Amino acid sequence: MIRQDPYSVFDALSEPAAGAATAPILALALGVLALLLCEVIDLLRPLRPFVFVGTVLVALFFEFRLLGQAIPPGPVLDGTFVASHDTAAWGVLFLSGTLLAWAYSLGYQPEGEPFRGEHDALMLSCAIGMMLMAGAGDLIVFFVGLELLSIPLYALAAFQRWRSTSVEAGIKYFLLGSFSSALFLFGAALLYTAHGTLSISALAAAVSGSNLSRIGVALVAASLFFKVSAFPFHTWVPDVYQGSPTPVTALMATGTKAAALAFLLTQAAPLFPERGALLVALLALVTIALGNLGALAQEDLKRMLAYSGIAHAGTLLLLVSARMAGADAEATQRAAIFYMGAYLFTATGAFGLVSLLESDGSRFTRIDSLRGLARSRPFAAGAMTLFLLSLGGIPATGGFLGKWFVFATVVRAEMVPVAVAGVLLSVLALAYYLRVVVVMWMQPPAEGAPVPATTRPLTAGLATGVCAVLVLATGLLPALFLSPLNP
Amino acid sequence: MLLLWITILPLLGALALVPLSPRRTSLLRGVAVATTLAVAVLSLVLWTRFDGTRADAQALFSVPWFTLFAQGGAPVPLHFALGVDGISILLVLLTTFLMPIVVVSSVGHVTERVKEFLIWLLLMETGMLGVFAALDLVLFYVFFEASLVPLYFIVGIWGGERRLYATIKFFLFMVAGSLVMLVGVIALIYGLGSASLPVLIERGAELSLEHQRWIFLAFALAFAVKVPIVPFHTWLADAHTEAPTSGSVLLAGVLLKMGTYGLLRFCIQPFPEIALGYGPVFLALGALGIVYGALLAMAQTDLKRLIACSSVSHLGFVVLGLFAMTSSSLRGAVLQMVNHGISTGLLFLLVGMLYERRHTRLLDRFGGLAAVMPVFALFFVFTVLSSAGLPGLNGFVGEYLILSGTFQSAPFWAAVAVTGVVLGAIYLLTSTRRVLFGPVILEENKQLADLGKREVGTLLPLVALALWIGVQPNPFLAKTAASLDRIADRVERTRAALDLGALEPASSDPLVSAKE
Repeated sequence: MIRQDPYSVFDALSEPAAGAATAPILALALGVLALLLCEVIDLLRPLRPFVFVGTVLVALFFEFRLLGQAIPPGPVLDGTFVASHDTAAWGVLFLSGTLLAWAYSLGYQPEGEPFRGEHDALMLSCAIGMMLMAGAGDLIVFFVGLELLSIPLYALAAFQRWRSTSVEAGIKYFLLGSFSSALFLFGAALLYTAHGTLSISALAAAVSGSNLSRIGVALVAASLFFKVSAFPFHTWVPDVYQGSPTPVTALMATGTKAAALAFLLTQAAPLFPERGALLVALLALVTIALGNLGALAQEDLKRMLAYSGIAHAGTLLLLVSARMAGADAEATQRAAIFYMGAYLFTATGAFGLVSLLESDGSRFTRIDSLRGLARSRPFAAGAMTLFLLSLGGIPATGGFLGKWFVFATVVRAEMVPVAVAGVLLSVLALAYYLRVVVVMWMQPPAEGAPVPATTRPLTAGLATGVCAVLVLATGLLPALFLSPLNP
Repeated sequence: MLLLWITILPLLGALALVPLSPRRTSLLRGVAVATTLAVAVLSLVLWTRFDGTRADAQALFSVPWFTLFAQGGAPVPLHFALGVDGISILLVLLTTFLMPIVVVSSVGHVTERVKEFLIWLLLMETGMLGVFAALDLVLFYVFFEASLVPLYFIVGIWGGERRLYATIKFFLFMVAGSLVMLVGVIALIYGLGSASLPVLIERGAELSLEHQRWIFLAFALAFAVKVPIVPFHTWLADAHTEAPTSGSVLLAGVLLKMGTYGLLRFCIQPFPEIALGYGPVFLALGALGIVYGALLAMAQTDLKRLIACSSVSHLGFVVLGLFAMTSSSLRGAVLQMVNHGISTGLLFLLVGMLYERRHTRLLDRFGGLAAVMPVFALFFVFTVLSSAGLPGLNGFVGEYLILSGTFQSAPFWAAVAVTGVVLGAIYLLTSTRRVLFGPVILEENKQLADLGKREVGTLLPLVALALWIGVQPNPFLAKTAASLDRIADRVERTRAALDLGALEPASSDPLVSAKE
């Protein structure tokens, strides 16, 4: 049924199910408008942080309400958008990631804060994009989400216009990102040509072995792999991550990955043929290997974390392959949400700490510049160590249980050799995480090097604390996070 | 509840240290000593309450932790479950006993960043106790891995000159081993539909032989690296040599025991049939370790490296005793775990004291110390004799039980192992002669101070324990008897069944036919 009357959209939204499903997105959209309004009216400017936090909290409230419902709305608005417990859980992740990245961005720009309102509004629209991607029931809705996420990120990456690397990152990301958007559109067009529909559930039922639809699916997958930063579409990551302002990198590393993965697992999985599972598993393993090998060679902390992000994307891709090989949808979904949640808190915390250190006068992003950090700033070093250990998957941290769930799912999908290979490749990762730990704890500060001072607002410290507590909590009390997923 | 308190009290102690000022070192040390002593006292209470006639786990504590979602089948609940049986209680006691000594001994060699050091030590105690007390596979794995981290920092920050190389090597060896075990743990949990250790022990043998074999191998590899069994021993000498004295004592005293404990608990006890099949391999590796470790020790010029190599030899005995799988060899193996903790701990403490005075550990830098440091010499000779297995001291009881038990099931490897006893006496006595006796050649050695009260105080409890076990081992053996007899009985029954089965050609399992 196609609605011809443009105003009928309001009728559609007033249905209780549709209203509940879209409430978080609408709240965010209103928040974006409010932020822009505050920017124009001088009197309202001091209110901006409250508007931002308030909007996110309201959206979080709606997501939690969805999580608490016994029967979630499911597909709404002619099946173009899906709201389930899973999408709500993903939504919570997106919102927490955005909030944390924002907290780190406060006071990050040393040269005063031009365009603060625009910056915040762009960050909020990223969250809208992610939610649309995770819940898309239709390729067009997904595309709108993808662009709503990507375009603000292009702008945010280049936000420090006075730094050439930031501009370079923005342009690089923009060029390659639009290329991948084009791939997606072309794939969607081919699928439409082949099957006459853009609805994902209809496509899943109709996808056949015809060349047209096969190429279409492959192109869609390629553009998703680009967003997840999987081999062979990963080469943009180090430059873009390194050049962007660090809080934006945190959002990019966690949010984009999470959103693309959420779409792959919640909605798009039925599109992919089972016999592609092995290919995806291979790509995932290559991604892990390349990420880890690349990270081993890095001297810059941000770049190292970027490569480590590639390796983590590979691990997540293993889940996609397990799902394609027939692993239980629900188990895969939970493993993905848990892993991504743990990664989100860990990586945001790690990037956040980098942002904290680098804006202290000089740029502390070289690994060497962290020498003796344990003595000058024991708490920052302690938190960083915790994050690095979690990234490496050492028990008692969320990173360990996340890995556990992923490999358990892969083993259950009867891909034991893949699991063993993945596990062995992740040993490699410890070598470079530990290197940073060694530098911070076991080497004396370099002679005459400037000592990082604490000049940042309380919010960054608070965000680090929250991340650290959540990393430990996901590792020690996972039931707290898993039980909302098994209502 | 008692066991829970024993396990988490060190963690609470570590948290209590966090807000204290790093400059008030005596207060920090006082808190750490008090915590470890309290844990030791609690564990003694546990020991007296422990009923040695029961084979199953006691002092149980269990709360639900989280649920693993199993695909298809029922979800697997995980528990924060603790408990000790006759095997683990000895190791728990060994740990809680060594800890106060380690904390006190650290006064001599840790003068920088004392607060961090004590925090790591206490965290490590919780990790080690958790490994021995965990009754849930995932919980065990978490403790097993997490106990690595404190040691990593202890060696890496307070270690010797090549500490960075040693720590990275140590950590990567350990993590590679335990990640393979992780796959084994996952496969085991989904095979059994439960993560509980008692269930594993009960029903492990019901899994298909192929399944059992892979899980056995995954676990055995991780533990073999930890023990270490030759050829995985190369990390040990480096880590031991570079670690500060307290790190070495804990590494040798407790950490290596996680490997032998794991072999017994996760390889032999649940899968006796596979263990019998691979028994000859491990017997050969154990005997090889005894001889090779002793030969390595003979070739060392650094006293600490020498002790590290002797550990390889001594743990070879434990592995031999475990895989001979007779009732007396198992008793000997478990007792020898404790003995090795005591005598090697003593040796490391003594060498540490020497190093604090002379800042070298090279054998040819000493000589004639008996004349200068008579008290030190007394302790040194005692310890060496205990380590060499002199009758009347602890080492003898363990080695004798192991060898006599092994002669019943694998006489050839027992014979090879006996040569190790002789070699052990050679390298231990030679090095004693070179350090203690003869003329005092070097000027620097003439002015060395003898042991102080604190140092004697750290040594005496261990010396007393060594004597006690040597003269009257029964109180210790009695507590473990029931648990070990259950394993030995089960192995016997399996052995008998396999022998019967081997007579029938119908048996198609390659392991069984290989056994003939």
